[in-house]
Amino acid sequence: MQWLLKYILKIKPNFEEGQKLHWLYPLYEATETILFSSDEKTKSAPHIRDSIDIKRVMILVVITLIPCYIFGAINVGYQNAIALGLERSLIGNLFFGAMTIIPIIAVTFIAGAFWEILFAIVRKHEISEGFLVTCALIPLTMPPSIPLWQLFIATSFGIVIGKEIFGGVGMNIFNPALTARCFIFFSYPSKISGDMVWLVGPDGYSGATALSIPATTKNSDAVTLLDNVSQFDYSWLNLASGWIPGSIGETNKFIIFAAAVILMAMKLISWRVILGGVSGLFAMAYVGNLIAPYSDNSMLSIPAHYHLVMGSFAFGLTFMATEPVTGSHTDTGRLFYGFFVGVLTVIIRSINPAYPEGVMLAILLMNAFASLIDYFVVKVNINRRMTRYAQ
Amino acid sequence: MPHIKIKKGHDLKISGVPDKNIAYPSEHSTVAILPNDFRGVKPKLLVKEGDKLKIGSPLFYNKINPDVKWASPGCGKVKNIVYGPRRVIEKIEIDLDKDQDCIDYKAHTNEEISKLSGEQVLEEILKANLFTYFRQRPFNVIPNHKVPPRDIFISGLNTGPLSVDIEVVMAGQLENFQNGINAISKLTKGNVYLTTKKNSVLSSIENVKLNTISGPHPAGNVGIQIHHISHLRPGEIVWTINPQEVATLGKLLKTGRYDPFRVISVGGPSVKTPSYYKVRTGVPIKSLTYDNLKSDNVRIISGDVLTGRNASDQDSLSFYDYSLSVISNDIKREFIGMLNPGSSSSRYSLTPVFVSLSEKLFNFTSSQNGNHRAVVPMNSWERLLPMDILPNELYRSILAEDIEEMENLGIIECDDEDFALCSFACPSKTDVSGVIRQGLNLLQAEV
Repeated sequence: MQWLLKYILKIKPNFEEGQKLHWLYPLYEATETILFSSDEKTKSAPHIRDSIDIKRVMILVVITLIPCYIFGAINVGYQNAIALGLERSLIGNLFFGAMTIIPIIAVTFIAGAFWEILFAIVRKHEISEGFLVTCALIPLTMPPSIPLWQLFIATSFGIVIGKEIFGGVGMNIFNPALTARCFIFFSYPSKISGDMVWLVGPDGYSGATALSIPATTKNSDAVTLLDNVSQFDYSWLNLASGWIPGSIGETNKFIIFAAAVILMAMKLISWRVILGGVSGLFAMAYVGNLIAPYSDNSMLSIPAHYHLVMGSFAFGLTFMATEPVTGSHTDTGRLFYGFFVGVLTVIIRSINPAYPEGVMLAILLMNAFASLIDYFVVKVNINRRMTRYAQ
Repeated sequence: MPHIKIKKGHDLKISGVPDKNIAYPSEHSTVAILPNDFRGVKPKLLVKEGDKLKIGSPLFYNKINPDVKWASPGCGKVKNIVYGPRRVIEKIEIDLDKDQDCIDYKAHTNEEISKLSGEQVLEEILKANLFTYFRQRPFNVIPNHKVPPRDIFISGLNTGPLSVDIEVVMAGQLENFQNGINAISKLTKGNVYLTTKKNSVLSSIENVKLNTISGPHPAGNVGIQIHHISHLRPGEIVWTINPQEVATLGKLLKTGRYDPFRVISVGGPSVKTPSYYKVRTGVPIKSLTYDNLKSDNVRIISGDVLTGRNASDQDSLSFYDYSLSVISNDIKREFIGMLNPGSSSSRYSLTPVFVSLSEKLFNFTSSQNGNHRAVVPMNSWERLLPMDILPNELYRSILAEDIEEMENLGIIECDDEDFALCSFACPSKTDVSGVIRQGLNLLQAEV
């Protein structure tokens, strides 16, 4: 590949200060450093550096998302086959699903890259590899039936309002992928509020999601309600294995669990957020179960282990809540932050009648409160130091 | 004896580990003192080109504190004085004579040394122009000798990459070291704290508060030890000094002569025969690297690879540096390097994001391994800082120049060298230690 490197270095002078193509320098720089590892040297101490860089971090997160894509594609095809009453092979399902989601991925990346490059050129900073993860996450949170123009607008909103206006990756307050999802959620609620299933099927084919069934029936036990559904298999095991209609990437909880374990082992995401989130979910679900007999709200009777596999909680917690920039920055803070994501998810699911799914709003809400949590953790640290100084 | 166990940190497995046999540098005709090594000092020259000097003759003094002068590490003639921009004195170079002559001060017996009063000890050290061996915390600068310190801290072990093993160096110096301790213990009303590893040769030393410490780098950094033994409070000052220089001071009082020699390590992936060397303070780097480098395209570092200064072979070793490290400047550009699964010889990371199974020593280069990005707080700093300090929040308060918040977050207990590993491991390639120094400078300008 030396010829390519030689060529790239040969055209470099065209992009330097004072040259006609200088405005395209961020694009050149991104191409050069993606194709060939950086040759930048340390300027001062420490003279040696760890081999990790943000590119590696981001690309590893994207790689862990690939199984979600593959399963998502198969499931899109599978749900379509069920809706049409067809028998289709695994490969056939994969092919059908790929044909459905590739345009979704393409539109997301085109929109994301467009804004990222535009901002890099206008604001004269490097193109950040963070948009790769954002753009890889957005399609997975979308229903396969999403109209592409809505997706384009949502991605633009997520990248620009969720990230770029704050100064880019590392400065943003809200998770850009969730900001995009949130935009669609509130702008086109008929498509995406989560009470009706999303799948690519014949017109008029519809059904209730696992979460909306107990939400719309009063005075019942949630598990009995789910077991009685004949259209889809809403048993615990099937909810966990993901052969249900849903957003493209979130249905198979086993794949997400494996990704979470890998990312935690690589120390790219914090186990504290995951532990906090799962404990929060269980704690609040138990509280709900305790209240359930005194209420006509069937959502309160959903057991904790069902909450864990219903909706997008697992996906949101693993890939969205653990995002280091928008979450809490202190270790203690991360525990609380995760805990409240779990608690709020159950509260929004059970008590708010408007939205059957709560994890997106829970994470965005906690993004807003993350700094407040950190504020208290820092206060405790300062107080401890002041006591020590006073001794 | 209290024992401190450090858990956070990392011992860098860098190749070019120096051999513990002490060698001598190739012959050199000059030595040099670099006034820029001394933070916050405004040097005023006491010599001019052509002046004759003895070992110990004063070279310059600090305009801010004229009692503190710098001793010449060699006997000979001032060869030249190099000025930088705005007439900053960059280098005072001395041509060495064949016969090295010392200034003779008063010699003492061991008993006399232990009976000296604090004023007498200080007077002897100032007279010999060696007070600059002391540095104070906070700020890690040369202290004001008129303000007695709360305590004096000595780190009896080096944990930095490729550093000198204090055990080897001090083995033959125990008497001088004890004399030095007896003298400097008079300079404080508090204690002299000596921290060593377990079963150290220094554990027989008396007149000190001995602590032992174990764990990875930065356990040997004196700032970390102060934090764990008796932390700094606002308004307090402690002094620190290198154990080799305690022995130098002991020898000065005993013999009446300044011995400018010290043991340093020369190592790193690009050194042919890494070894310990006994060198004169201010030794020209050329005499250590001559015929000793694997290639020409190298970076020479005065100090260790984490905290040292970018030097060249025309330069001298800095006053406070006890090692010389050489790494390669030759950086290979890999095609789509970010997808490389990694191997023990191509990647070294404290975050387990690469496949790297063996524990063999790594050939580090001066590559930054990536470009600078905004901070992504992935805990890579927190995992390496064995102090009760929130590095991320401190970093932010410094960037915001919020001095009150910096103080609340404990900046007075920090020094840039303690954060070097954080900069090393940061995936965003942020210079954390540089920012800590920036914060200390801000605070110092304020008080």
